[in-house]
Amino acid sequence: MILGSVIGQVWGAQRSAQLGPEKMLLVAVLGAPGADGERVASGRVVVALDDLGARIGETVTVTWGSGARAVLKAPENRKVLADAAIARIVDGSSAGEE
Amino acid sequence: MILGTVVGTLWATKKNPWLEDLKLVIVRPTYWYDPDHNVDHLVAVDQLDTRAGQQVVVCVGLPGRWRLGDDRYPVEATVAAIVDRIEMGSAAEVQ
Repeated sequence: MILGSVIGQVWGAQRSAQLGPEKMLLVAVLGAPGADGERVASGRVVVALDDLGARIGETVTVTWGSGARAVLKAPENRKVLADAAIARIVDGSSAGEE
Repeated sequence: MILGTVVGTLWATKKNPWLEDLKLVIVRPTYWYDPDHNVDHLVAVDQLDTRAGQQVVVCVGLPGRWRLGDDRYPVEATVAAIVDRIEMGSAAEVQ
Protein backbone atom coordinates (compact mmCIF):
# COMPACT_ATOMS: atom_id res chain seq x y z
CA MET A 1 0.00 0.00 0.00
CA ILE A 2 1.05 3.59 -0.42
CA LEU A 3 0.06 6.89 1.11
CA GLY A 4 -1.72 9.23 -1.22
CA SER A 5 -3.65 12.45 -1.32
CA VAL A 6 -7.09 12.57 -2.94
CA ILE A 7 -6.92 15.26 -5.64
CA GLY A 8 -10.00 14.67 -7.74
CA GLN A 9 -12.86 12.48 -8.85
CA VAL A 10 -13.62 10.80 -12.17
CA TRP A 11 -17.12 10.09 -13.48
CA GLY A 12 -17.91 7.62 -16.21
CA ALA A 13 -21.35 6.19 -16.89
CA GLN A 14 -20.04 3.68 -19.43
CA ARG A 15 -18.10 1.25 -17.31
CA SER A 16 -17.37 -2.41 -17.21
CA ALA A 17 -19.90 -4.42 -15.22
CA GLN A 18 -17.03 -5.87 -13.19
CA LEU A 19 -15.75 -2.47 -12.16
CA GLY A 20 -18.51 -2.06 -9.60
CA PRO A 21 -20.46 1.04 -8.55
CA GLU A 22 -17.79 2.56 -6.33
CA LYS A 23 -16.53 6.12 -6.75
CA MET A 24 -13.38 6.58 -8.82
CA LEU A 25 -10.95 8.99 -7.17
CA LEU A 26 -7.72 10.47 -8.47
CA VAL A 27 -5.05 9.93 -5.81
CA ALA A 28 -1.58 11.50 -6.02
CA VAL A 29 1.13 9.34 -4.48
CA LEU A 30 2.80 11.20 -1.60
CA GLY A 31 6.55 11.76 -1.95
CA ALA A 32 9.29 11.91 0.68
CA PRO A 33 8.80 14.39 3.55
CA GLY A 34 10.21 17.85 2.92
CA ALA A 35 12.16 20.04 5.34
CA ASP A 36 9.03 20.70 7.36
CA GLY A 37 8.29 16.99 7.68
CA GLU A 38 5.17 17.19 5.53
CA ARG A 39 4.78 14.81 2.64
CA VAL A 40 3.76 16.49 -0.59
CA ALA A 41 1.84 15.02 -3.51
CA SER A 42 4.02 13.80 -6.37
CA GLY A 43 3.12 13.80 -10.05
CA ARG A 44 2.31 10.12 -9.95
CA VAL A 45 -1.44 9.73 -9.92
CA VAL A 46 -3.55 6.61 -9.68
CA VAL A 47 -7.29 6.12 -10.18
CA ALA A 48 -8.56 4.20 -7.13
CA LEU A 49 -12.00 2.88 -6.25
CA ASP A 50 -13.45 4.18 -3.00
CA ASP A 51 -16.25 2.78 -0.87
CA LEU A 52 -15.23 4.64 2.30
CA GLY A 53 -16.34 8.11 1.23
CA ALA A 54 -12.94 9.82 1.00
CA ARG A 55 -13.04 13.50 0.04
CA ILE A 56 -10.70 15.73 -1.94
CA GLY A 57 -7.75 16.81 0.22
CA GLU A 58 -7.81 13.79 2.51
CA THR A 59 -4.82 11.48 2.95
CA VAL A 60 -5.57 7.83 2.26
CA THR A 61 -3.83 4.52 1.84
CA VAL A 62 -4.22 2.87 -1.54
CA THR A 63 -3.78 -0.86 -1.96
CA TRP A 64 -3.14 -2.01 -5.47
CA GLY A 65 -2.53 -4.99 -7.61
CA SER A 66 -4.63 -8.03 -6.94
CA GLY A 67 -5.01 -6.90 -3.31
CA ALA A 68 -7.39 -4.14 -4.36
CA ARG A 69 -10.24 -6.55 -4.92
CA ALA A 70 -9.94 -7.80 -1.34
CA VAL A 71 -10.78 -4.28 -0.14
CA LEU A 72 -13.91 -4.14 -2.20
CA LYS A 73 -15.72 -7.44 -2.31
CA ALA A 74 -14.09 -10.08 -0.16
CA PRO A 75 -14.32 -12.98 -0.54
CA GLU A 76 -16.23 -13.27 -3.81
CA ASN A 77 -14.08 -10.86 -5.67
CA ARG A 78 -12.26 -12.85 -8.25
CA LYS A 79 -13.50 -10.89 -11.22
CA VAL A 80 -13.40 -7.35 -9.89
CA LEU A 81 -11.81 -5.20 -12.60
CA ALA A 82 -9.81 -2.94 -10.31
CA ASP A 83 -6.13 -2.73 -9.47
CA ALA A 84 -6.29 0.08 -6.89
CA ALA A 85 -8.67 0.74 -4.01
CA ILE A 86 -8.72 3.03 -1.00
CA ALA A 87 -8.22 0.92 2.10
CA ARG A 88 -8.11 3.58 4.83
CA ILE A 89 -8.66 7.27 5.34
CA VAL A 90 -5.65 8.39 7.37
CA ASP A 91 -6.11 10.47 10.52
CA GLY A 92 -2.41 10.83 11.28
CA SER A 93 0.97 9.22 10.77
CA SER A 94 4.49 9.55 12.10
CA ALA A 95 7.95 8.60 10.92
CA GLY A 96 11.03 7.98 13.06
CA GLU A 97 13.65 10.72 13.39
CA GLU A 98 17.01 9.93 11.84
CA MET B 1 -6.12 2.05 -12.52
CA ILE B 2 -4.70 4.82 -14.61
CA LEU B 3 -6.24 7.69 -16.50
CA GLY B 4 -5.49 7.99 -20.21
CA THR B 5 -6.69 9.00 -23.65
CA VAL B 6 -7.47 6.60 -26.49
CA VAL B 7 -5.26 7.58 -29.42
CA GLY B 8 -5.83 4.69 -31.80
CA THR B 9 -6.83 1.14 -32.56
CA LEU B 10 -4.54 -1.77 -33.28
CA TRP B 11 -5.11 -4.62 -35.74
CA ALA B 12 -3.16 -7.84 -36.05
CA THR B 13 -3.71 -10.85 -38.27
CA LYS B 14 -1.20 -13.13 -36.63
CA LYS B 15 -1.81 -13.25 -32.92
CA ASN B 16 -2.04 -15.50 -29.93
CA PRO B 17 -5.27 -17.53 -30.18
CA TRP B 18 -6.42 -16.14 -26.82
CA LEU B 19 -6.48 -12.69 -28.40
CA GLU B 20 -8.92 -13.61 -31.17
CA ASP B 21 -11.98 -11.35 -31.19
CA LEU B 22 -10.47 -8.90 -28.69
CA LYS B 23 -10.36 -5.28 -29.78
CA LEU B 24 -7.10 -3.61 -28.84
CA VAL B 25 -6.70 0.14 -28.43
CA ILE B 26 -3.66 2.33 -27.90
CA VAL B 27 -3.95 4.54 -24.83
CA ARG B 28 -1.73 7.49 -23.96
CA PRO B 29 -1.56 7.67 -20.18
CA THR B 30 -2.24 11.00 -18.53
CA TYR B 31 -0.44 9.91 -15.38
CA TRP B 32 1.66 6.90 -14.47
CA TYR B 33 2.14 5.55 -11.02
CA ASP B 34 4.46 2.71 -11.88
CA PRO B 35 7.97 3.84 -12.92
CA ASP B 36 8.59 0.45 -14.51
CA HIS B 37 6.06 1.35 -17.14
CA ASN B 38 7.34 4.82 -17.95
CA VAL B 39 6.43 4.76 -21.63
CA ASP B 40 4.12 6.99 -23.64
CA HIS B 41 1.60 4.36 -24.66
CA LEU B 42 -0.21 1.28 -23.48
CA VAL B 43 -2.08 -1.35 -25.51
CA ALA B 44 -5.30 -2.30 -23.75
CA VAL B 45 -8.20 -4.65 -24.39
CA ASP B 46 -11.33 -2.66 -25.15
CA GLN B 47 -14.76 -4.18 -24.56
CA LEU B 48 -16.54 -0.84 -24.18
CA ASP B 49 -16.09 0.14 -27.85
CA THR B 50 -14.16 3.33 -27.22
CA ARG B 51 -13.25 5.86 -29.89
CA ALA B 52 -10.05 7.81 -30.42
CA GLY B 53 -10.02 10.96 -28.32
CA GLN B 54 -12.05 9.57 -25.44
CA GLN B 55 -10.61 9.64 -21.94
CA VAL B 56 -10.66 6.26 -20.27
CA VAL B 57 -9.76 4.52 -17.03
CA VAL B 58 -7.50 1.51 -17.66
CA CYS B 59 -7.03 -1.34 -15.21
CA VAL B 60 -3.50 -2.78 -15.35
CA GLY B 61 -1.95 -5.94 -13.98
CA LEU B 62 -3.58 -9.25 -13.18
CA PRO B 63 -7.10 -7.88 -12.50
CA GLY B 64 -7.13 -6.68 -16.10
CA ARG B 65 -7.65 -10.22 -17.32
CA TRP B 66 -10.25 -11.48 -14.87
CA ARG B 67 -12.73 -9.39 -16.77
CA LEU B 68 -12.23 -11.82 -19.61
CA GLY B 69 -13.08 -14.79 -17.42
CA ASP B 70 -9.80 -16.67 -17.46
CA ASP B 71 -6.39 -16.08 -15.88
CA ARG B 72 -4.61 -17.43 -18.93
CA TYR B 73 -5.31 -14.49 -21.24
CA PRO B 74 -2.01 -12.86 -22.26
CA VAL B 75 -3.36 -9.49 -21.21
CA GLU B 76 -2.55 -7.06 -18.41
CA ALA B 77 -4.44 -3.94 -19.40
CA THR B 78 -8.19 -3.55 -19.91
CA VAL B 79 -10.36 -0.47 -20.42
CA ALA B 80 -12.57 -0.30 -17.31
CA ALA B 81 -14.57 2.89 -17.90
CA ILE B 82 -15.09 5.76 -20.32
CA VAL B 83 -14.69 9.10 -18.55
CA ASP B 84 -17.55 11.60 -18.69
CA ARG B 85 -16.19 14.21 -16.32
CA ILE B 86 -13.25 14.88 -14.03
CA GLU B 87 -13.35 17.17 -11.02
CA MET B 88 -10.07 18.29 -9.51
CA GLY B 89 -9.48 19.90 -6.14
CA SER B 90 -8.13 23.41 -5.77
CA ALA B 91 -4.54 24.12 -6.81
CA ALA B 92 -3.46 24.15 -3.18
CA GLU B 93 -4.80 20.66 -2.65
CA VAL B 94 -3.37 19.32 -5.89
CA GLN B 95 0.03 21.01 -5.62
